[in-house]
Amino acid sequence: MKVTLTVNGTEYARDVEPRLLLIHLLRDELGLTGSHWGCDTSNCGACVVWLDDTPVKSCTVLAVMADGHRVLTVEGLANGASLDPVQQGFAHCHGLQCGFCTPGMMLTARWLLNNNPHPSSYQVREAISGQVCRCTGYENIVKAVLWAAEYEAGG
Amino acid sequence: MAQIAAQRYTGASIRRSEDPRLLTGRGRYVDDIKLPGMLHAAFVRSPLAHARVLSVDVCAARALPGVVAAFTGADLEAMTVPGPDALSTLMGAAGPTPEFTLLATDKVRFAGDPVAVVIAESRYLAEDGCELVEVDYDELPPVASADFALDPGSPPLFANLGDNIARSRSRNEFGDIAATFAGADRVYDFRIDVHRHQNVPMEGRGCVASYDPDLGVLTMHAATQSVHVAKIAVTMRLGMEPDKVRVLAGDIGGSFGLKIGASREELATAAASRALGRPVKWVEDRTENLTASGQAREESFNVRAAVSNDGDLLGLDVTMVIDTGSYPGMGGMVPAIIEAMLPGPYKLAALGFESVGVTTNKAPYVAYRGPWASETFVRERVLDLIAKDLGLDPLEIRLRNAAPRTDPPAVMLTGRPLAGVTTRESLERVAKLADIPAFRRRQAQARAQGRYLGIGVATFIEAAPGPRSPEGASGPMGSESMRLRLDEDGFVVLFTGQMPHGQSHQTTLAQIAADEFGVPFEQVRVVVGDTDVVPFGLTGGSRSATMTGGVTLHGARRLKAKVLDFASHLMEVSAMDLQITDGNVGVRGDPASAVAVSEIARQAASGEFGADVDARLEVEAVFDGGEGGWSGGSHCAVVEVDVETGIVTVERYVAVEDCGVLINPAVVEGQIRGGVAQGIGAVLLERSAYDADGNFQSATFMDYLLPTACDVPRIEIEHLQTVPLDADVNFRGVGEGGMIVAPPTIVNAIEDALSPFGVRIYEQHLPPARILELIATAGSAQPSGSAQPGRSAQPGGR
Ligand code: FES
Ligand code: FES
Repeated sequence: MKVTLTVNGTEYARDVEPRLLLIHLLRDELGLTGSHWGCDTSNCGACVVWLDDTPVKSCTVLAVMADGHRVLTVEGLANGASLDPVQQGFAHCHGLQCGFCTPGMMLTARWLLNNNPHPSSYQVREAISGQVCRCTGYENIVKAVLWAAEYEAGG
Repeated sequence: MAQIAAQRYTGASIRRSEDPRLLTGRGRYVDDIKLPGMLHAAFVRSPLAHARVLSVDVCAARALPGVVAAFTGADLEAMTVPGPDALSTLMGAAGPTPEFTLLATDKVRFAGDPVAVVIAESRYLAEDGCELVEVDYDELPPVASADFALDPGSPPLFANLGDNIARSRSRNEFGDIAATFAGADRVYDFRIDVHRHQNVPMEGRGCVASYDPDLGVLTMHAATQSVHVAKIAVTMRLGMEPDKVRVLAGDIGGSFGLKIGASREELATAAASRALGRPVKWVEDRTENLTASGQAREESFNVRAAVSNDGDLLGLDVTMVIDTGSYPGMGGMVPAIIEAMLPGPYKLAALGFESVGVTTNKAPYVAYRGPWASETFVRERVLDLIAKDLGLDPLEIRLRNAAPRTDPPAVMLTGRPLAGVTTRESLERVAKLADIPAFRRRQAQARAQGRYLGIGVATFIEAAPGPRSPEGASGPMGSESMRLRLDEDGFVVLFTGQMPHGQSHQTTLAQIAADEFGVPFEQVRVVVGDTDVVPFGLTGGSRSATMTGGVTLHGARRLKAKVLDFASHLMEVSAMDLQITDGNVGVRGDPASAVAVSEIARQAASGEFGADVDARLEVEAVFDGGEGGWSGGSHCAVVEVDVETGIVTVERYVAVEDCGVLINPAVVEGQIRGGVAQGIGAVLLERSAYDADGNFQSATFMDYLLPTACDVPRIEIEHLQTVPLDADVNFRGVGEGGMIVAPPTIVNAIEDALSPFGVRIYEQHLPPARILELIATAGSAQPSGSAQPGRSAQPGGR
């Protein structure tokens, strides 16, 4: 089946099997390997990208369902050479160890801050509670997001 | 370039050099590798725990368009060199080795055992092919528990072993057991269980094997804690010469002990690549990871404790049974480490330790963060149980029994000196930070309102690396090698056998080298993950802080001396008068003389120097751990137990740690927090569960629950840096401590919360349903210390 979608501002057209998952389209067909695949049951969030303006688990979306839509992945998070404040926050607060969960975490965090520029640490924890990090114990991820919120508030 | 006194990188939370690529999606994990002509492997796995394999028919799979090949266990044996598991061989496992084949041949030994592999143009097609493989099984009675495995009548997993004893029963005694127990006021009997749980890195296992038929060279892109150990496994199993095998590794999405060497599936993938002359990728999915990658713990301990009426722990006599699952590997080595560590930082007079390891129809036993952690769980649990019975405060009983810091240091009953161990300091500090008296007041108020709060304390020491023994010629962890070079671009390049998978070595080793050599942090390159260029090494056992930190420090020092020596010829100044600061070689006190190290390196490479000048700006360094030392610390948790739902909330968590000199505090604290989070998960959520027939019950994240951001509290950390033992290297490992001490800390807190119900806890896994059971059944089967002489053995636990 034909799909046409815009990923990080670039339009792609591909002929895909109907069963192909969006995560595999991104990784295997488009070479955007920043999004990861971490489970078979939509529980880990390593695959989170934005579909239009909302974070989705791209392992739960068929590639054909993204036809005509916009997708944002970690590769599109920075603004040219300047990192998004969320990315800066993760670097600043040691918010990652192995980095496998990080792209998904950052995309959820970006969405949270767009919708709630001043979240409490509890709200950050809630926002990422559908995603798993096995390395950090989460604390520095929370700090990273709060750092980004403060940075964007001009702090 | 004038420079103010250089600030030191070591000790600062320098931002990681790994992050720019990982934050922008440019990391390169094994599944990101795509080679021209690459095929994909998928495995057919046994649905049964224990069965004879009567036939495997791969014809239909082979006929499926897109499928390139399908191999059975027998095919793989013909394609490879039979022999034991390379890792067991490396670790010197004793006794008869169980049969080890890449895929199951005559029988399957756990639900998930691979029986065939299908190679296809895509993973989707490979999985389609797996559906078409027909396997006939003749089911055998499953051996699903250690108790049954110990029964001589249980059907042996391995015919060549004759029974299900993987590690035969052995007993050692330290001190005078009989006299210690005879002289004790009280003797307690407990049975303590530690459940099966597992590593679960967010990235599972995987590899891309690529055989070049023209050159006869196999290149393996691996996710491994050691490229060299993986290479040894490949060369042994594929019967290849070492110079024909190259193992590479890039970014790795966590491991926690799982990815040591190369797994059966990875070796099968390599064999398939060689047979087909094309690259083959295998990356496990989560179900495979949970079902078949390996699991850990599942140990039971019968503990007799000899105690004085004042709460002196005089002796322990412990019998341990370890369930090593099918294909025993690491499991066979764990009891010896547990035995050595059981006294912990306490002054015991006698220890008896007996152990036996069994094989069962469960996933293989693998190393998981602090593989010997149960010694701490047992000891710290038993101390609380005794304290309760004697009406002592948990802190008091620990302080009373902890060996004081003396010169010369006290020696553990099992042999190692407790040099520089700061157990008492960390216990006192954690109690102060947690403000236990204030908590007790709050606890009393909460109870009056029907809320159940509890506080728990536990302490541990870890041989990371451990002390140098007085008579020992070599260091506590063997030695660590590194090659260091000054490149013409002015970079100091470190070649290390460490294979970071979250530990931040590219940052921390650069910090040490930059300080010691005298270049900016950005001017150090850390090369990992290529058997052609890095020395032998392994990331694991919390060894890298001391061992690799130490070899970096000494290596950079030697490289600097060499560079200065060469520069002294060039600049016609005595090397004694030269220094390196901020990347420049210069005469002390003469800033104008500064020459960039890159310029020095270029001159050295120019070839214009005769044999009398050593212009090779490279050194090979080896470090044996120096004086070594212990890591350790005390943790304290405050929990609330909802007695209606059984849900436990960790309200507060405080850690006081002593890992010597910190290289990068943010990295150290990240390791501690990550370990504690896994420990919390192990107690409240995670269990690798099997039913009575050996069916695996937790094959997805809906059944194997991992802690999320809402389950793990903020973790407060304070550091003690009490006792330097070595003149130069006092960095100590922290990779495992959090996971070792968090489980007893949490369980102790839960028992404290439930003390109004008289609950006593003899196990590690406490999900809500179990908490409710404990409350409901409390009061029955409580053990108590029997006063001598009429000491009866009242069994504790269930
Ligand atoms: S891969 Fe786990 S939720 Fe998508
Ligand atoms: S950083 Fe490793 S899983 Fe989150």
